Amino acid sequence: MTETQQEREGAVKAPSPEAPWPVRVVSQKIGEWVGRLGWVWAEGEIAQITKRPGSPLVFITLRDMSADISVTLTVPRRFVEAAEPPLVQGGRVIVHGKPQWYAGRGTLSLGVDDIRAVGLGELLARLQRLKKMLAAEGLFDPARKRPLPFLPRRIGLITGRASAAEKDVLENARLRFPAADFRVINVPVQGASAVPAVLDALASMEADPDIEVIVLARGGGSVEDLLPWSDEALCRAVFACKTPIVAAIGHETDNPLVDYVADVRASTPTDAAKRVVPDFSEELRALSMARRRLDLAMNGLLDREQHRLDAVRSRPCLAQPASIVDGRQSEVDESLRRARHALSGRIASAVDSLSHVRARLRALSPQATLDRGYAIVQQADGSVLRAAAEANAGDVLRVRLAEGEIHATVKE
Amino acid sequence: MSEESLSYEQARAELVSVVEKLETGGATLEESLALWERGEKLADTCQAWLDGARERLEKARAAGAE
Repeated sequence: MTETQQEREGAVKAPSPEAPWPVRVVSQKIGEWVGRLGWVWAEGEIAQITKRPGSPLVFITLRDMSADISVTLTVPRRFVEAAEPPLVQGGRVIVHGKPQWYAGRGTLSLGVDDIRAVGLGELLARLQRLKKMLAAEGLFDPARKRPLPFLPRRIGLITGRASAAEKDVLENARLRFPAADFRVINVPVQGASAVPAVLDALASMEADPDIEVIVLARGGGSVEDLLPWSDEALCRAVFACKTPIVAAIGHETDNPLVDYVADVRASTPTDAAKRVVPDFSEELRALSMARRRLDLAMNGLLDREQHRLDAVRSRPCLAQPASIVDGRQSEVDESLRRARHALSGRIASAVDSLSHVRARLRALSPQATLDRGYAIVQQADGSVLRAAAEANAGDVLRVRLAEGEIHATVKE
Repeated sequence: MSEESLSYEQARAELVSVVEKLETGGATLEESLALWERGEKLADTCQAWLDGARERLEKARAAGAE
């Protein structure tokens, strides 16, 4: 330390033949100068790749595309091995590196922390890797996609301020369903601030119990502009959301990763509007049709049942309940008639025999004798007087004649 | 079971069986009269169900038309 400080102090003075710098000071000075350039992006062609077994660094000679000028790159081995597509001699690459001075051998190289094939580009290549990884983790799994609610109470819309996408979603949704309720959160839709803003908006909408579906909408843009919509953190946040998410990012041909993670991928913001709300008039029509069919079905049912009931009620035993009694009434009448018939015969013969009996009775009566002029004399107690000695003077006797009777008093 | 608490189907099924019994005959007059009275009540119950259903239908229809 002390020595270094002395050397730095010494460095202030210009070297001279009397006081030359030691090699280490010169080398250190060069290193300082080189370091001042800082990090740079450079493009070139790979002239040579040198991998030394066991070394963590790979040496690549990068040649200028139009001049015979080269620079050496030192690249961590893992970068080279992870490069997708693989780095090959003659391939064009863009590197991010900082000049480094190797004092030990007095050589210069670019210490590289990023190397990507030009054309596909490292960003796109990285997206491919991320896409593979997320797919392997199941973030794109169709089985994990949640169905959208038929009619969401409220729709969350995350989109750029006053953007065409915002207008498209709102207008088309309200055209289909005038009562559609939106909560819009405007966010930067490109650049470094986009991802954190979208993450905040997602969290806020997740916390809103009324929001039953969230739409991410952004119009078309360059590949770079759409990069935030492929961000890993964003993809994972969308995947973790409990609320179903519709993604409408870019044009149909753009495929940001969030499109794959979202539950529904809409081709455009207008398409997203169609996915999140039903067509009101269409639903009304279907509803009234269902009502009509319901009516018809109920009427038919009631009519059928009425007929069945009427049929049962019209059966004689119910329609003319008197028939229950009538049958028996005629039985009774018939019996009565027969009874009366039978009885009248009996009465007639009884009357007949009565007159016979009466005749016989009459034949046996004393009347005939009386008719011949005899009389019957009865005492006051009704006994018949058979001998004169039985009567005393003064007794009143009853004399029954053939016709009538007289009362007589005994003189002697 | 009193006829008021019968469903339409129960009432109709019993009504049909009452009518069949009456038509078959063989019951005493007293039984026949009881059957007939039961049948009338069952038929009224069925009709009340149908009338009620119609009324509800009309009400719903009127409400839907508003």
